[in-house]
Amino acid sequence: MENPGEGTRPGGSFAVSCENVSFSYPGSERPALSEVSFGLRPGEYVGVVGPNGGGKSTLVRLLNGLLRPDSGHIRVSDRDPATEPFEVRKRLGVLFQNPDNGLVAPFVEDDVAFGLENLGVARHEMQGRVARAIRAVGLEGYERREPDTLSGGEKQRVALAGILATEPEILVLDEPTSMLDTAGRREVLRYLKALRPEKTVLHVTHHLEELTGADRILVLNGGDLIADETPERFLSDADLLRENRLVLPVVPRLALELGLPPTRLSTPEELAEAILARAESGTRT
Amino acid sequence: MTSRSLGQFYPVASPVHALDPRAKIVATAVFVVGLFLIDSTVGLLFVAASLVALVAMSRIPATTFLRLLRPVLLIVALTVLIQVLFSRGGATLVEWGIFEVHSGGLRLGIFLALRILLLVSSAGLLTATTAPVALTDGIEDLLSPLKRVRFPAHEVAMMMTIALRFIPTLGEEAEKIKGAQAARGADFSEGGPLRRARSLVPVLVPLTVGAFRRADELAEAMESRGYRGGEGRTRFRELRFRKQDALALSITVLVLLVGILL
Amino acid sequence: MTLELKDVSHVYAPGTPFEVEALRGVSLVVEPGEVLGIVGGTGSGKSTLVKHMNLLLTPTIGEVLVDGVDARSLKKSELRRRVGLVFQFPESALFAPTVEEDVAFAPRQLGLHEDEARERVRESLRVLGAEELATRAPFTLSGGEKRRVAIAGVLAMKPEVLILDEPTAGLDPATRQDLLALILGLREAGISVVLVSHDLDEVAEVADRVSALHEGRVRAAGTPAEVFYREPAQAPATVQVVSLLKGSRPEIGAPVRFKETLETLRALRGV
Repeated sequence: MENPGEGTRPGGSFAVSCENVSFSYPGSERPALSEVSFGLRPGEYVGVVGPNGGGKSTLVRLLNGLLRPDSGHIRVSDRDPATEPFEVRKRLGVLFQNPDNGLVAPFVEDDVAFGLENLGVARHEMQGRVARAIRAVGLEGYERREPDTLSGGEKQRVALAGILATEPEILVLDEPTSMLDTAGRREVLRYLKALRPEKTVLHVTHHLEELTGADRILVLNGGDLIADETPERFLSDADLLRENRLVLPVVPRLALELGLPPTRLSTPEELAEAILARAESGTRT
Repeated sequence: MTSRSLGQFYPVASPVHALDPRAKIVATAVFVVGLFLIDSTVGLLFVAASLVALVAMSRIPATTFLRLLRPVLLIVALTVLIQVLFSRGGATLVEWGIFEVHSGGLRLGIFLALRILLLVSSAGLLTATTAPVALTDGIEDLLSPLKRVRFPAHEVAMMMTIALRFIPTLGEEAEKIKGAQAARGADFSEGGPLRRARSLVPVLVPLTVGAFRRADELAEAMESRGYRGGEGRTRFRELRFRKQDALALSITVLVLLVGILL
Repeated sequence: MTLELKDVSHVYAPGTPFEVEALRGVSLVVEPGEVLGIVGGTGSGKSTLVKHMNLLLTPTIGEVLVDGVDARSLKKSELRRRVGLVFQFPESALFAPTVEEDVAFAPRQLGLHEDEARERVRESLRVLGAEELATRAPFTLSGGEKRRVAIAGVLAMKPEVLILDEPTAGLDPATRQDLLALILGLREAGISVVLVSHDLDEVAEVADRVSALHEGRVRAAGTPAEVFYREPAQAPATVQVVSLLKGSRPEIGAPVRFKETLETLRALRGV
C-alpha cells in the first residue's frame, strides 16, 4: 500500500527511527521484516498491529538490540541498538507479553530494583526510585509479595514498575495485555494510559480498542509495513482491517455498521449517547 | 503453592530472623563441623539444649519445626536399630536368638541418632529463619572473594535466585500438565516401575520444553533490562554485619567448645 | 448425555493453614447438544468447577451425575473419554515428535486399534482445520496452530461433552473468531460444549445458556438474555448498549448477539 502517513521519513529529531530495516531468522526462507522504514517523534503514541508472524515481535527485538538487522539503520535516542545495546536499554524499556517470564526475583521489591541494579545505580538512590515506581502502578503494600501469589494483571504491573524505575524516555509494549483476563487488562491499561504524555510509546497489540488514543497506527503484515495511518482513517477502512485479519471490538463495530464514527465511540455509554443524539436530531428534521 | 510450602522459610519477626544471613550460614557450617568433633552423649545433649533455646528464640512453633524432622525419622530409627542390634560393648541387656542388645549398643545408637537430629535441625533452622533471597545474597557475598580466582560467584547466586523464584511456577505447571494428560486418558499409577516411568514422558517432555522456553523469555527480559552479568552491578538489599551477628558466631563456637570438652 | 453437578462444594487443602473454599453449593446441568457458557472473574471458581466435570477433582460435598448416575461409579477412563477437558493454554502439554503422534495419544490410551486411532487423528485434525500440520513438530508451530492441535487431541476421544477452559486466551482476534465458529460447528455435530470464559462478548455470541459464578457460588443462571440483562454493569458490550437505551426506548427488546443487536438498533425509531 503506497502513500504511508507522515513521519515515516527518518531524519530530524526522532526518538526512534528505522530506515529500510530487514531481518530474517536463520533458517527461515521468508524475511521477518522487509525494508521497513518509519519514525517515532518524542512524545508520540504509536500503535503497531498485524497478524501473528507479521514481524511485530521481531521489530521490538530489533529496537532494543536483542536482534541485529541484516540491513538498514536503526537509531534509538541517536544510538544504534546493535552496537550500543546497553545505552539504548537505559533509554528504551520493553514490557513483554508473558507476565510470568519477566519476573526475576522472589519478591516484588527486588524485581522492581533489578533494572536499577543492572545500571549500577547507587543503593540510596534505588530505594526512592523503587518506591516511586511501585506507587506509579498502584502496588503500594505489595513490596514483599512473592510473584506466584499475584494475579496476571498485578504481575504485569510489577514488570511495568521495573521498567519505570529506570526512567526510560521510550516505552515499547509488546502485546502487554494479551495473556491477561478482562480485569487484568483494564488494570494494566489504566496505568499505561497515565504514562502517555511523558513518554514516547510504541504499543504492539491485537486489541484495537487499546489504540483509540494513538497518534498513528502502523500495520505490519508478512514483514512489510503496509500502512501508517491515523486511527480515524484506519478504523474506518474495512478492507484494510479484513486484509490484515484485524477485528474491531463490538462497540466500534456496531458504530461502523450504524454509520456512526467508530473511533470516537469505544464505550457502550458513548455509543448509546450517539444513537440517542442521532435519533433526536432525526425526529427534529 | 508458594515457596513456603517447600517446608522451609517461616516468616515471623525474631532476633534469629534478623541476623545477617552470612553469620547464620557460617555459624551453621561451623556447627556441623563442630558436631563431628563432639564425642560424648552429654556434650551432644548440652548442644541440643542450646539449639532448643535457639528455636524457641526464633518464634517458630514447635510443631512446625518438628515437621522438618519428619523425613529423617526413618533414618534415625534405622540407625538406632542397627546399633542396638549389632553393636557390642557394655553389659548385655537382652538376648533374643542371634540378636544381643548391649548397653553400649544402645548408647551408641542414641548418640548417633542425636547427632543426625542436630544436623538436620541446624540446617532446618537456617532455612526456616532466612528468606531465600537473603540466603542467596549471603552465599554470593561469602563466595565473592573467589571471584579473584574467576569463580562466577554472582552468576551462581543469580542462578539460585532464579531457581527459587521459579520452583513454585514450575510446580504448578507440572500439576497442570499432569491434569491435561490425565484428561486424555493417561494413568500415572498403573504398572511396574518401568511402565510408570514411561507414563511420565508426556509430562516431562512438555515441562522441559516449556522450561527452556521460559528460560529464553526470561533471558530476553533480563537483557532488555540491562543485565550483563555481575560487572558494574550494585545491590538493592543491604547486608550489614552487626554486633548481634558477631555475638551469635561467638556463642556458637563457645557452645561447641563446651560440648567437645564435656 | 446429561451432565449434572448437584450442590457441589470443594475445599482445597482442608485442615491446613492453606484451606480455601473454592466452590460452595454449585448446581448446574449440561444438556445434550447445547453450548453452556460459564462466566466469572478470576477467583470465581470456574476452573475448579470444570475439573469436577471429569472428576479430576472430586467434590467435598455434593454429586456429579452422568445421565442420572453417580460419576464416581463409572470407570475413570470411561468418564474422561466421554467428558473431554481442554485446559487453558493447552499447548503447553504437547509432547510428541509430530502432531499426528500427539493427537493419537488419547485414542491409543483408550486402547483403540491403530487403524481406528489414525482415523480419529485424521478426523479431528480436519475438524480443527489443521490437516496440513499432521507431520509437523508441535514445537515449531505458531500459538494458534498449537492451540488447534491441542484441542484436536482431546476431540480425538470423541467426547459427548467438550469443556473448553478459556480457549481463546492469548489468540489474535481473527483466530478467536475461527474458534468460536468451531464451537458452533461442534454443537451442530451434537457435541455439548462447556465454554469457560472471562470474555463476555464471546460467550454472548455462542452460548445457549449461561451460568455466572462469583466467589465460588452461582450468581445467576439461565439464557444469556436472562443472566446478562439482570446485571448490565457486568454484561457483554451489546447488552450494555441496549440497557443504556432502555430508559428512553422502553420498547427495545433484549438482544444478546451482535447481529440481533444491530438489527434491534437499526429498527429503533429515528436511528
